[in-house]
Amino acid sequence: MGAVDIRGVRKSYGDHKVMHGVSIAIPDGEFVALVGPSGCGKSTLLRMIAGLEEITEGDILIGDRVINDVAPKDRDIAMVFQNYALYPHMSVRKNMAFALKLRRLPPAEIEKRVRSVAEILSLEPLLDRKPRALSGGQRQRVAMGRAIVRDPQVFLFDEPLSNLDAKLRVQMRSELKELHQRLGTTTVYVTHDQIEAMTLANRVVVMNAGRVEQVGAPLELYDRPDNLFVAAFIGSPPMNFLQGAVTEDRSGLTLPDGLVLAVPGGVYASAGTPVTIGIRPEHFTIASAGWPVAVSVIEPTGSETQISTRLAGRTLRVLIRGRTAVEPGETIHITAEPDNIHVFDTQTGLRIDRR
Amino acid sequence: MSATLTLAGRRRKRPIGRYVRIAGGITACIMFLFPIFWMVLTSFKMPRDIFTTPPTFFFTPTIETYTSYLQHADIPNRMLNTVIVACGAGLISIAAGSMAGYALARIKVKGLATMGALILLSRGVPPIALAVPMFLVARNLGLTDKHITLILAYCTFLIPYVMWLMRGFFKALPEELEESAMLDGCSRFGAFFRIIVPISLPGLLSTLIFSVILAWEELLFALVLTNRYASTIPVAIAGIAGDSVNGANWGALTAVGTLTVLPVVVFALLVQKWLIKGLADGATKG
Repeated sequence: MGAVDIRGVRKSYGDHKVMHGVSIAIPDGEFVALVGPSGCGKSTLLRMIAGLEEITEGDILIGDRVINDVAPKDRDIAMVFQNYALYPHMSVRKNMAFALKLRRLPPAEIEKRVRSVAEILSLEPLLDRKPRALSGGQRQRVAMGRAIVRDPQVFLFDEPLSNLDAKLRVQMRSELKELHQRLGTTTVYVTHDQIEAMTLANRVVVMNAGRVEQVGAPLELYDRPDNLFVAAFIGSPPMNFLQGAVTEDRSGLTLPDGLVLAVPGGVYASAGTPVTIGIRPEHFTIASAGWPVAVSVIEPTGSETQISTRLAGRTLRVLIRGRTAVEPGETIHITAEPDNIHVFDTQTGLRIDRR
Repeated sequence: MSATLTLAGRRRKRPIGRYVRIAGGITACIMFLFPIFWMVLTSFKMPRDIFTTPPTFFFTPTIETYTSYLQHADIPNRMLNTVIVACGAGLISIAAGSMAGYALARIKVKGLATMGALILLSRGVPPIALAVPMFLVARNLGLTDKHITLILAYCTFLIPYVMWLMRGFFKALPEELEESAMLDGCSRFGAFFRIIVPISLPGLLSTLIFSVILAWEELLFALVLTNRYASTIPVAIAGIAGDSVNGANWGALTAVGTLTVLPVVVFALLVQKWLIKGLADGATKG
């Protein structure tokens, strides 16, 4: 069984605490992405699962075995590193066979497994090449092959696509997803790229400063971010935020400069509470009535158009499907559905739900 | 067609700087190689040809110095001693020093870097200050005039040297290599021997060569710690040069000198490919 259970894991280097009690239960066969800005502790957590980093406090279980003190080699996990870490003095075949050889598998069995994985990843013509004779994408494939061939309980990926160019990254992303669907091995995948996390994973763990901010299915995070951090982190282009105080009649927001904005559907918090409302650029629509904003920049990409607008000195991004006749300098009115307006307590950063 | 034109153009534009550099290189080579050339030349001269003014380049060569001196001065034995001691010290220090260097490059323990610096600092002590205490220790242990004594003495300065050189090589290798090996089923030692050592072979070999050369030509410790049985070639050369009874026998000196340099040169030529690769690696990877 390849379930991974992380229970109250803490990590500190001397007095410096970098992880403050992280708990995540990953069922067998799930693809979980750890995502967050650099320094949030996602790689450290992955390395703790791998056994490359000591656990200061808490437990990590694979199956029902606590692995805190188990050597990396005895954890039955395979890891793909950002720089691939292929053994430069070995051919692709030997790279892939290395772990199997150490386990003293019969040579015929090793050859069979290497061949079959090479076939899955289209590595057959490269088997006798050394890593330096491979392109970035090929090296990436070999690194994956080396992990797959071992048939481990858990796969760990540490930003495996970040050294590839944009086009190849998208291609490898689909390959990875397909591979996971085919093999069904529990996978923990670290990335700082939220798109990668959203598209690949069954579940996404958003981390920040050594804490888990939210765990959920990709669309859950997008639709109902628990707090300001997740709201700002998930989604591209990022969510627009407006800070202010709830008006007396709770129908809108008084901005710090005194401007009163009516919020569609009202604000569900007591009057005077400092709140931050968040609206995704794609949830704005241009309407005949709504917030009057001045168009500053228009960026068409063909399928959609991003419009940067100014509202009382603040920039609001609007993303619309298709094209627009709007010109820079023009004033337009924008609005959003009440369901698409997120309200957060400015002080705690937590989501305030409609009741 | 255009490629040819570009090539021709480039050739025409070849700057004067290039010739200056070539001339500089040739001058440096002459400066370094001439003493060796002169030593080899002198070793084939009859005593009367050695001190002619102006020096003579053309003479009837003879190997008399070689045949006569080598027979009665115990040179072959000393040559063998030098081989044993230099190779022994080189191999032990590469084994111990590379592992120490690896620890220094990888293991994060407070104070380890300071310890490494202190070990290097020990090289700052003048060898003569160590030679006498070492002699006393060796005498008390009954180890004077033995190969192992000299080997261990050489290790004291070779290991710090190897350790720091190899630390640089290892630091330049990504840590993920060993981590990957450890996840693949190796222990830390296994990862070092199966992955790191094969990759660092050029570096290890060039460091080994330098260590052997350093031990090969060492005089002071050999002079203090050996007497007859384990005495090395540099001691013999010093003996010939400082012969207070007959005066320096320059013919013998140059002949033995040539014989001393010869194995090193042959060795270096054989491993030249590795040597240059190792040096260049060190240079670019810091």
